[in-house]
Amino acid sequence: MFNIDFTGEFAAFFVFSAIMICGAVLMISLEKVVHMVVSMAAVFLGLAGMFVLLEAEFVAFVQVLIYAGAVSILMIFGIMMTKHQGAEREKAKPLHEALAAIGALCLFGVLFYAIRSTTFPEPAPFQAGEDNTMAIGELLYTGYVVPFELLSVLLTVAFIGAIVLAKKEAD
Amino acid sequence: MLPSYLTMAAILFCIGLYGALAKRNAVIVLLSLELMLNAVNLNLIAFSKYGVVPSLTGQIFSLFTITVAAAEAAIGVAILIALFRMRGTVNVDEFDKMRR
Amino acid sequence: MDMYTQAAWLVPLFPLAAFLLLTALGRGFRKAGALIGSAGALAAFVLSLLIVVERLGEGAVDYNNAIDWIAIGDYTLRIGFEVTNLTAMMLVVVTLVSFLVNLYSAGYMKNDERITVFYGYVSLFTFSMLGLVLSDNLLSLYIFWELVGVCSFLLVGFWYTKPKARAAAKKAFIVTRIGDAGLLLGILLLFWYMPDHALDFTTIQSVFDGQSGAITTGITTLIALLIFLGAIGKSGQFPLHVWLPDAMEGPTPISALIHAATMVAAGVFLIARTYDIFQDSAAAMETVAYVGGFTAIFAATVALAQNDIKRILAYSTVSQLGYMMMALGLGSLTGGVFHLFTHAFFKALLFLGAGSVIHAVHTQNIHEMGGLASKMRVTAWTFAVGALALSGIPPFSGFWSKDMILTAAIETNPLLFVVGLAAAFCTALYMARLFFLVFMGKPGSASADAHEAPAVMTAPLVVLAVLAAAAGFVETPWNGWFGSWLSGEAEAAHGSGVAIVASIAVGLLGLYVGWLIYGKGGVSRKAAAERAPWLVKLLENGYYADELYAAVIVKPIRTIGSVLMVVDEYIIGGLVRLAGIATAYAGRTAARLQNGQVQTYGLAAAIGFVVLVAAIVGRRFWP
Repeated sequence: MFNIDFTGEFAAFFVFSAIMICGAVLMISLEKVVHMVVSMAAVFLGLAGMFVLLEAEFVAFVQVLIYAGAVSILMIFGIMMTKHQGAEREKAKPLHEALAAIGALCLFGVLFYAIRSTTFPEPAPFQAGEDNTMAIGELLYTGYVVPFELLSVLLTVAFIGAIVLAKKEAD
Repeated sequence: MLPSYLTMAAILFCIGLYGALAKRNAVIVLLSLELMLNAVNLNLIAFSKYGVVPSLTGQIFSLFTITVAAAEAAIGVAILIALFRMRGTVNVDEFDKMRR
Repeated sequence: MDMYTQAAWLVPLFPLAAFLLLTALGRGFRKAGALIGSAGALAAFVLSLLIVVERLGEGAVDYNNAIDWIAIGDYTLRIGFEVTNLTAMMLVVVTLVSFLVNLYSAGYMKNDERITVFYGYVSLFTFSMLGLVLSDNLLSLYIFWELVGVCSFLLVGFWYTKPKARAAAKKAFIVTRIGDAGLLLGILLLFWYMPDHALDFTTIQSVFDGQSGAITTGITTLIALLIFLGAIGKSGQFPLHVWLPDAMEGPTPISALIHAATMVAAGVFLIARTYDIFQDSAAAMETVAYVGGFTAIFAATVALAQNDIKRILAYSTVSQLGYMMMALGLGSLTGGVFHLFTHAFFKALLFLGAGSVIHAVHTQNIHEMGGLASKMRVTAWTFAVGALALSGIPPFSGFWSKDMILTAAIETNPLLFVVGLAAAFCTALYMARLFFLVFMGKPGSASADAHEAPAVMTAPLVVLAVLAAAAGFVETPWNGWFGSWLSGEAEAAHGSGVAIVASIAVGLLGLYVGWLIYGKGGVSRKAAAERAPWLVKLLENGYYADELYAAVIVKPIRTIGSVLMVVDEYIIGGLVRLAGIATAYAGRTAARLQNGQVQTYGLAAAIGFVVLVAAIVGRRFWP
């Protein structure tokens, strides 16, 4: 099942996944909200590394910029603006939490079973392009130009919407 | 190598799911949602390299996902701030106005 | 040439328009009610009269006009009207009696609160009856057949605040339904077996008349008997006669219109209309004859002992309808229809006269009346004419038609001839009893301040009296005009000396005996009651038919009903309640889930998804 040949990719994968799982688990279990966000940033960075492993350099770059940068900062802003005491006040709701854990675990079990019991066909060699960024850019402005433009509209709407929602009522 | 990536994505997704369902702080719930979206991105990129027909389409899609996720995070935080202004808390438990 | 005949479809529309107008106007327009109702009936009557006059000439052909009604695949149902001499005659009878009753009701129902509603119902009934008469196929006839039933129900229960009227209305409806079910089955059978599923009378006539053998004798008999079952219900023949005496709870003009002249004759009309079917089956003909004969004598004896003026007339109606059925069963179509024709006039006359009496003395018990002749001259004279016509005394109309039936009987079935004679004797006897008790002798307890009815009520009586006296001359032993007009072929001269003499003798004898007992007082009235009290009791209660039905049919059904009720209450109702309780409980539980927490919803969705996927995956491991 785990017929691992110890390659460089595997070593890197192992390191990154260790970082990500640690970050994710810490995110769940830490007390202070700011710490949670920081551990989350670690997950984002680990994921960016994994993207590099998968020959998606441009996406990895974007991941670092947007997630590890923008989203994390946004979250910290959110925390600051909502004046947290810094720690989460735990209210006892054990049944709910236990059920959520069981549900998540079961889902993982199902997914794991699915992944392990599937035989993936041998992939064709991957042509990432000499310049990954350029290849993506060409594809974006040819085949995916309409979704791309729609996304720009979406971003504008989200931008305006966020301002409208967050501004003070009195203004 | 593909199953390893997929398993990794599944782990991230399930941790995100647990966070989104069990955490009380709305900011953390938003973060957990981001984690789930990231897990999906990992899947997309992994299939883009190791899929039956490897192509850049997976990467393009993950770019789109990232964009949408960024917009979602912005709106989410904005809603959070508005809610906080009205209710004085970000505890998800207390957002139960839709009850009945 | 036959302009009016082609416009016959207009006849029912006048009363229909009157009904719609009256319904639209509401209860406020009391004066307008009588006016509109009478006008509708009068217009219909005038047109009917024109049609008949037009058809009196030589060579009037049946006129039929139909349009496509429903097309189902290849089968097309047509609806239309047909004017034959029979239907033309019925048109005149129905519209004339209806008009006179409308007129009469203006006086009789003057003080009723719902007089407008009453006129609406009467107009609706007239419309339905005319539609029934004009129908050119059995299906539309059946529709109108049910419509007149509904009108009868509405009018019998018109005074619905009286419990007895309510019960009578229900009884009339339910009992006639038994017959209607038979008629419907007959129509369905006919539809099944007829070539091309035709239901119009023209095709029925050609199929059965031509002896084409398209339908076997057994099926023909079955169809004929089922149709006859409908006629039994509607025309109050034994054993479904029980509703007709009770139906007298309705207003008296209604008894005259519906339960004497028109609707109850619909059964006779139906058989006359489908006579070709009956003629194909000797068994069915015999059944009709014997049921009719038995009903005639059965009801006539019951009428002897009744004390309610309207019930006497009701049983008399049953008896006379039995006469008509007997005539039809004996093969004398003309005799049956002729008696229907004359009976409509003199029985309507008698009922309206009875209504006039009731109007004056406010009771229906004949022993409380007496000596009314001097106070109500017009009523008394016209009633006498009606009584003589009913008793079969020449030259009044009843004699000629009854004689024709008896002649038919003596030629084919001596047993029924004797039965007919006995019934005729009883008829004369009870009419003499009725007349002498009500109009002659010492004034009774209720007749002190009796006075003649207003002219609007006596005028119809006079018109009907003239007709009751003279209508018989269209068909006499030496003049077969009516029969040949009706059937379209020259009928052989009929008439049997024995029948004439016997019928006159029996009628006179009955009247004489009645006069002896109730007029002169030569024989004690109590004689019969003293010698055979059980017999009087038996007759008073109509041979206990109601009680018998109650014991044999109603009780067991009621027992089954109460058992089923328990089943319904505790088992089915319990299940329903259980479902209700379970749903309410589930609702309360589910409402608790609805706590407004997004995370709970998300959790439920996630667990649900996992279970779903697990179920799908689990199927792999299932054998």
